[in-house]
Amino acid sequence: MEIKGSVALVTGGGNGIGEAVAKHLAKHGAKVAIVDMVQKNVDRVVKDVKDMGGEAIGIQANVTSEADIARAIKGAVEAFGKLNIAVSCAGIIRDGTMLSLDKETGKVSKKLGLDKWQAVIDTNLTGTFLTMRDAAEAMVNGGWEGLLVPISSVNKVGQVGQINYSSAKVADALMPKIIVGEFLMRGIRNIRCVAIAPGYTATPMLTGMNQDALKAILEDVHLGRLVAPEEIASLIGHCVENEALNATTLEITGGLCYPNGIAK
Amino acid sequence: MQSISYNDMQFSVEKRGDRWDIIYQLPDGSSGVAGAGLFARLSESEAGPRALALIKTIFPVGIKSVGPDVTHPITIGDLKIIGPDVTHPNFIYWDKDSVSCPKEL
Ligand SMILES: NC(=O)c1ccc[n+]([C@@H]2O[C@H](COP(=O)([O-])OP(=O)(O)OC[C@H]3O[C@@H](n4cnc5c(N)ncnc54)[C@H](O)[C@@H]3O)[C@@H](O)[C@H]2O)c1
Repeated sequence: MEIKGSVALVTGGGNGIGEAVAKHLAKHGAKVAIVDMVQKNVDRVVKDVKDMGGEAIGIQANVTSEADIARAIKGAVEAFGKLNIAVSCAGIIRDGTMLSLDKETGKVSKKLGLDKWQAVIDTNLTGTFLTMRDAAEAMVNGGWEGLLVPISSVNKVGQVGQINYSSAKVADALMPKIIVGEFLMRGIRNIRCVAIAPGYTATPMLTGMNQDALKAILEDVHLGRLVAPEEIASLIGHCVENEALNATTLEITGGLCYPNGIAK
Repeated sequence: MQSISYNDMQFSVEKRGDRWDIIYQLPDGSSGVAGAGLFARLSESEAGPRALALIKTIFPVGIKSVGPDVTHPITIGDLKIIGPDVTHPNFIYWDKDSVSCPKEL
């Protein structure tokens, strides 16, 4: 599929990786629907695409809401007449270990709250499911060529302090296998699905963190620096164009390794 | 250029080359771009209605019900708050207007 002339919907498009993906696709001639919960960021990215001479609409929406996702997809199709690419970048972290112990008594002093569990599962897993499901519905009914891109994470292998996040991301990574299998079963041949699992990426979330912690992370990255959001965007652009890529999850980590160990 | 007033917001549909931009103003004076480079080669009379339809999709009007979500048990300390019994015949999902809703209860 060519990027030029295609229509893409990017959730979480108001910041970080989603913003880079939206701008990369727009720069290469796609029309983009930028979907995010934060209106001012949606506006900023739409304006940037406009200033690049590109075509975009902005939709403030919460990916955990079925009605909001349906509205976002309707908006993209109303504005541009079709939908070809859906990238699910909206995501959050709410880290914490499942149990915390009191140092003196050794007894449990705190449990990871259901609110932290649920918020991450709702956004990172249910939000991705709704986006992929409804985008696929539009593509099947419209008969348009399509690519679905769930965003997973290298921490799909498991990360302490992230039982909620890793559980959602391993499920996101599994989606291409199931979705494409079901497409084959149902005779749906016009839509592919490729998930992307980034490593530590230079989005505002990470660059703003404690610089010592960041330095410690970089010691385990073979590349010696964070992955740039634009590098992830360009990989997604390649996935659009290379139709042999299908039913898989691609890692882009710069060679992130376990401390003194093999790559993750 | 065409002006559209909708839901306390002012929109203008502005021509740029052979395409249209939708710019909006909020009551607080701020502004944003709702859409850029849309409706290629359409005339003003064709682009206007398409812009209005898109505006209505992007900025919906209405009341959104946000709870209680009966499928998520909520806990406060050891106390588990159970949602209403959705199988009870008097339970109403209040997320949309119902034409069958009686005018007088
Ligand atoms: N940054 C990293 O190192 C990294 C690594 C691996 C995976 N990822 C994944 O990549 C994706 C993007 O991450 P990022 O670093 O760009 O994060 P970010 O915080 O910079 O951007 C995420 C965007 O999603 C939006 N969002 C959050 N919840 C939403 C909701 N319910 N509805 C709509 N929008 C919502 C936010 O407003 C924000 O604009 C996430 O899924 C994240 O888990 C990031």
